[in-house]
Amino acid sequence: MKILIQLGLLFGVCILGDLVSFVLPFAFPGSVISMLLMLFLLLSGLMKESTIEESANFFLKNMTFFFIPFGVGILRYAALIRSVWWQLLVVNFVSLLVCFAVSSWTVVLVTRLQKLWGGRRNA
Amino acid sequence: MLEVLNTPLFGITLSIIAFRIGLWVNRKIKHPLANPLLIAMGLIAIILVVFDIPFDIYEKSSSVIGLFLAPITAVLAVSIYRQRALLKESLLPVLLGTLAGSVASLLSIRWTCNLLGLDQVVLASLMSKSVTTPIAIAITEQFGGIPALTVASTVISGTLGNLLAPLLAKMFFISDPVAHGVGIGSCSHALGTSKALEIGEVEGAMSSIAISLSGVFTVLLAPFFFL
Repeated sequence: MKILIQLGLLFGVCILGDLVSFVLPFAFPGSVISMLLMLFLLLSGLMKESTIEESANFFLKNMTFFFIPFGVGILRYAALIRSVWWQLLVVNFVSLLVCFAVSSWTVVLVTRLQKLWGGRRNA
Repeated sequence: MLEVLNTPLFGITLSIIAFRIGLWVNRKIKHPLANPLLIAMGLIAIILVVFDIPFDIYEKSSSVIGLFLAPITAVLAVSIYRQRALLKESLLPVLLGTLAGSVASLLSIRWTCNLLGLDQVVLASLMSKSVTTPIAIAITEQFGGIPALTVASTVISGTLGNLLAPLLAKMFFISDPVAHGVGIGSCSHALGTSKALEIGEVEGAMSSIAISLSGVFTVLLAPFFFL
């Protein structure tokens, strides 16, 4: 029963997320709204982590399993993949380098600036 | 005979068996290229071809699994919540780092796609490929892309990130563990994060925070890069 209640709560939050997504004037995935709602519930203390712990752990640990049907869908697009396979690899590789460089260097620079300002304030 | 397979039970069971074998091979070989998702996908493809089962039957009978993407995305909140103390410590660098990473990722994907002459459907399928798969699929569906292509690309990005994580830090002169972790998580989600956890505790924690944050930023920003 405990797991059932947890799943019920979790699915309830997802339905709420879809509802908000439906009402919003712009397109925004309901699942991501559910995630933000869930985060709000946890941070505000309205929901305790222990209230959904087991089912959250189940989904977090076995997440990859749920992507299999989407992945197998690639069979339908075999011709497309064959025609653009090297472009896909190039896009993936280039954006990996750019994304890594930009995000990690932003962290380095922001950290340095913070130290600089913190240092001045303390001096 | 085929109608027996035309129930969700067939799709779920076949997927579980294939995933179990994928995990087993991954544990035996212990190499990021032996990705359990790729192995499971390949096994299912082989089984469908060998036993002459139409793809439609697997697709229909496994579609129920896709319904769980929403709760999976929702429980990502639990993993952010668990990292809240660490996130608070370096809130600004991590937030700005994942934000900048999301912009850089979207821009570079758009530019390289245009440069290589890929069409809008492919672009829509690749836009989100740096972020965690459940969010990436949601973005692809929003812009009319092909989810299968997104899954394949997230696996490629994740695997590349996993393989190259230590090298990337040297290439771009990153010595700060927080910066390294945020970089890995922003560009290669959970697959990269498993490597980040091997490199160090801070790297791993930062990388897992970056997964969800860059997912949210990419959802917010993607509409501006897909016009």
